[in-house]
Amino acid sequence: MSAYLISIITEGAIFGIMALGLNVIWGWSGDFDLAYYSYVAVGAYMTLVLTIGPATAPAQYILGLQLPYPLAVFIAVITSMAVALVIGSIALRHLRGIYFSIVTLGAVYVVYVLAGQYVPLFDGYNGLSGLFDPMGDWFGLDYLSYQYFLMGLSLAMFALVFLLMWRISGSRFGMALRTLREDERAAAAFGRDIYRLKLKGYVLGAALAGFAGALFAAYLSAFNPSAWSPVGEVIALYAAVLVGGRGNIWGVVVGVLVMGVGVQESTRWLPHVPGLGELDNVNPQILLSMRGLIVGLVLVLFLRFRPQGLLPERRYVDSQPAALIVQTPA
Amino acid sequence: MNEALLTLGFAMVTASILALSAVAFTLEYAVTNVANVSHGEILTAGAYAAFLVHQRTGSAIAAAIAASLAGGLVALAMHSAVIGPFIRFGASPTIVFIATLGMSFVIQNVLVLFFGAANVAYSIDPGASRQVGPFRLTPLDGEIIGSAVAITFVLYLIISRTRFGKALRAVSQNRELARVTGINATRVAGATFFLAGLIAGYAGFVLAESVGSFNPYFGFGFFLITLTAAVAGGLGRAVGTMTGAVIVGIILEVVPALKLPFVGYISASYNLAIAFAILALVILVRPRGLFTNARRTVFE
Repeated sequence: MSAYLISIITEGAIFGIMALGLNVIWGWSGDFDLAYYSYVAVGAYMTLVLTIGPATAPAQYILGLQLPYPLAVFIAVITSMAVALVIGSIALRHLRGIYFSIVTLGAVYVVYVLAGQYVPLFDGYNGLSGLFDPMGDWFGLDYLSYQYFLMGLSLAMFALVFLLMWRISGSRFGMALRTLREDERAAAAFGRDIYRLKLKGYVLGAALAGFAGALFAAYLSAFNPSAWSPVGEVIALYAAVLVGGRGNIWGVVVGVLVMGVGVQESTRWLPHVPGLGELDNVNPQILLSMRGLIVGLVLVLFLRFRPQGLLPERRYVDSQPAALIVQTPA
Repeated sequence: MNEALLTLGFAMVTASILALSAVAFTLEYAVTNVANVSHGEILTAGAYAAFLVHQRTGSAIAAAIAASLAGGLVALAMHSAVIGPFIRFGASPTIVFIATLGMSFVIQNVLVLFFGAANVAYSIDPGASRQVGPFRLTPLDGEIIGSAVAITFVLYLIISRTRFGKALRAVSQNRELARVTGINATRVAGATFFLAGLIAGYAGFVLAESVGSFNPYFGFGFFLITLTAAVAGGLGRAVGTMTGAVIVGIILEVVPALKLPFVGYISASYNLAIAFAILALVILVRPRGLFTNARRTVFE
């Protein structure tokens, strides 16, 4: 297996975990959350400051511990959840629709600006680096076999998260979240505590984001403000969830394959297409912007022409509609 | 004291540009009930058009006209290609919000493909600064502030005195009712987008001038501040939005110049964070804007 294939599968699995988390917030709960990628970033940053050890001279960042990787991941996830709890409890209390989106857009910019400008936190624009092959020396892995190990780990974690989401999807909690998406008033009339339910879903989604971020940190071995942007990354995630079918976890997998892996990898070959090759020399940004262009177009076109996605969510049909029950003699 | 007046002078320039951008945004909102996230790209288009025309002709006035026209056409295209069809299709405001975000992404990347992502330096000689009343302003500053006031006045006349303005107000208050009375709501909305685009395109030109450079992402950054001003003033309300823009513009310039207790000076690079802190506060406390007494409901 080539190193190229390994990187696709690892990135795809991590991207898949992010998409599954976003599906909880947007697919089930129905909130267009623009702060989502900040939880990924917090997960990645926290994993790094917990594992790479104390800062040396010009660099400065908080903590600087050398915890074992799994423990660091655990704390990073908890931190992401805590940040989501704060943002969510402000944004979800009274706000819905675009007002919720605008406040979360503000939140992600605040996180981005703090991480990038406030140097004592995560060393500002330089960011963090130095997490090399976490857990590799436990098993005595060399560089190449470590790549296989990380790929296997990411895939296994993706499978685990998928299984968990599959359980939640059909559970009372999963159903209750969908009711909020469909009709919040009706859910409230049936005695659901809307705010608490939404907040629970939100924090669950953020936990997956933080977890994916922690894996991403191991994959990149570094994280800094140029590794993410407040809006760019989350749009790609939304496009994946939308294309696959929001609300349906199988759909999300399809979306990740199409958008995360398909678009990502097909644009990688653009410079090799005869005639386009020269463009690459003219403008090094061309790959990134082609990707962004495709992602944006797909988002708009799917919203307009196939909002349910390629693999739509199954609509639950009431087997005992109220009308029937009324007609049945007591 | 001098320092404070100097800062206030800058603040008036920022507030003027912000007011133009925000009033255009709020007009777009008024006729469609949709927040156009790709509004910032109208400003970017204006900046590029101004730069290209200025290079060819060497005339700042030609550049301003080109910026305006480019903005108007881009806004019209946004409405007829995406926002209009989505509204006729019956999409919810949130869905259109997402679609315009996607569109903004498309436009940014198209601009990168054509012009590259690097900053383009673009500035007009501002001239020597002079004492104007209590403030020190350059002639360029004066032109920016003066043109903003003039544009606002003309816009006020259009909205309050013309037949089109009447139709615009009707559509913004009740689209269905307006249609019943024979107003072509889609056409009025399209024309309003064109008008808003003219203003926003010009705002993009003066913003590029006052910043001194721009790139394909430049409008989006300013859109975030525009959004703060418009929401603070009340989405869809022109006068409230203008006031919101002036307040936000002044806060953004004044805060970095102040030595605050505990934190000391806050660098201007935190501008976006400050803007959003204001925004979040306004939305939470007075979601319909600062200047209205309407009560908030949970389902907003």
